[in-house]
Amino acid sequence: MGEELIVNMGPQHPSTHGVLYLELKLDGEVVLDCVPHLGYLHRSMEKIAENRTYTQFIPFTDRLDYLASMNNNLGYCLAVEKLLNVEVTPRAQYLRVIIAELNRVASHLVAIGTFAQDLGAYATPLFYAFSDREKIVELFDELCGSRLTYNYVRIGGLSGDIPPGTDKVIKDFIKYEYKQLVEYNELLTHNVIFLARSKNIGILSKELAQAYSVSGPILRASGVRWDLRKDEPYLVYDKFDFDVCVGTVGDSWDRFKVRLDEVTQSLRIIEQAIEAIPEGNPVSKVNRVFRGTGESYLRTENPRGELGFYLVAEGGFNPYRCKIRSPSFSNLSVLPALIKGLNISDAVCVLGSLDIVMGEIDR
Amino acid sequence: MAIFLYIKKFFISVYSIFLGFRVTLKNMFKKSVTLDYPLVKQPMKERFRGMVDLIPPDCVICYQCIRVCPTAALELAHVTKEDKKKEITKFVFNAEFCCFCGLCEEICPTDAIYLNKMYEVVYFDHQDMLSIDLMKADKYKFLNEKNPSCKI
Repeated sequence: MGEELIVNMGPQHPSTHGVLYLELKLDGEVVLDCVPHLGYLHRSMEKIAENRTYTQFIPFTDRLDYLASMNNNLGYCLAVEKLLNVEVTPRAQYLRVIIAELNRVASHLVAIGTFAQDLGAYATPLFYAFSDREKIVELFDELCGSRLTYNYVRIGGLSGDIPPGTDKVIKDFIKYEYKQLVEYNELLTHNVIFLARSKNIGILSKELAQAYSVSGPILRASGVRWDLRKDEPYLVYDKFDFDVCVGTVGDSWDRFKVRLDEVTQSLRIIEQAIEAIPEGNPVSKVNRVFRGTGESYLRTENPRGELGFYLVAEGGFNPYRCKIRSPSFSNLSVLPALIKGLNISDAVCVLGSLDIVMGEIDR
Repeated sequence: MAIFLYIKKFFISVYSIFLGFRVTLKNMFKKSVTLDYPLVKQPMKERFRGMVDLIPPDCVICYQCIRVCPTAALELAHVTKEDKKKEITKFVFNAEFCCFCGLCEEICPTDAIYLNKMYEVVYFDHQDMLSIDLMKADKYKFLNEKNPSCKI
């Protein structure tokens, strides 16, 4: 037993975005203890929601999980629709499924790219992933006029219909992405160096995952078959045929593999949805006034796990209370248990495989 | 037996590294996906949300944009003249508060307020961007002179 050393794996500067400060207690290179410090990105989103009308809070949900803004918009709007019993046209529902799944693909691509970068595959896989993601972002730019904070979903529909010709762009993208997935498999999945770095590192057991209420791909990598799109279908997910990807061991490689497989499944959903879009009007005007009483909790399957919105309304134009259950917060809480006894370099691997977004943790 | 396993592992390693190099080689001859940004500029999409702009004669002073703005970035005041005609006395846009959500553009009944296609927005003075007078026609003129590519 050597001398204990405390190392700050922390923010270089508090004004950089997505900062997490890990206080590591080390013995040589082995991590004995880890304390994550949060709060550098706190914007008091839940309080902001209480002071805004239901529509006005939609742009703020973009800033929660900024890699999957569409899914956040969707989660919030679905919760409000459940609270106030707002009708949504079938066309809007299908378009919502398509954009949510496209954003899931984009988000998982970033997760895959950054995970490879964390393991030391400097820049190459990240650039490949980003150039694929660029195609989705371009498409979203066409839809809503922004590349990161989309603000596209509205309560009761969408802000605008898709421009003509979009379905062809999406079909071309699906074809292209299937080809690219083969490339990712060649480059990463079965690469010896990649396997040596990530196989059997940071094993998360089924029981531990459930005890920490971990969700999303991380839970599924531990072998729990739990996907809200299957088990508690919202929108029109029950009409599509897709598989729930599960891992066996629960190590970093499984978490990576589950994400890569989910990209394929998402593409399958989009393929089916784009063939079956009904006619109709998906647009919901902003000047609709929403008010009502009651409370609702709705959870959706975000790329990172379960995103829940708990809303209480007391008749006013704004919610009385808005509680956000963000998936990354629970997913990060399992980190100290995972990296105890590992080397620092493996701790980076585990952190990369958890794929957290700080905007969502601090809210 | 151990030696065979070792040799097998060696060949698998060589093969997987070869596969990785093949991907790299394939991508080497691909078309470049990036732009030489300051020299080559990408045209903005049709629904792009840039700076808030106003067509003053179209405004009917309904105050809907002021009410819907989530960050209170817009400020509007008006006077009613003797012949009951309204006239805007102040319509100010605070670019620092604005989150470029485009709700004001969506709610405007006459499409008077809209988000233009400017994306290179730099001011020399901090105070200048806190109160941009939307009634002036040349509010973004000096920015356009500097960047001829991002015309409104």
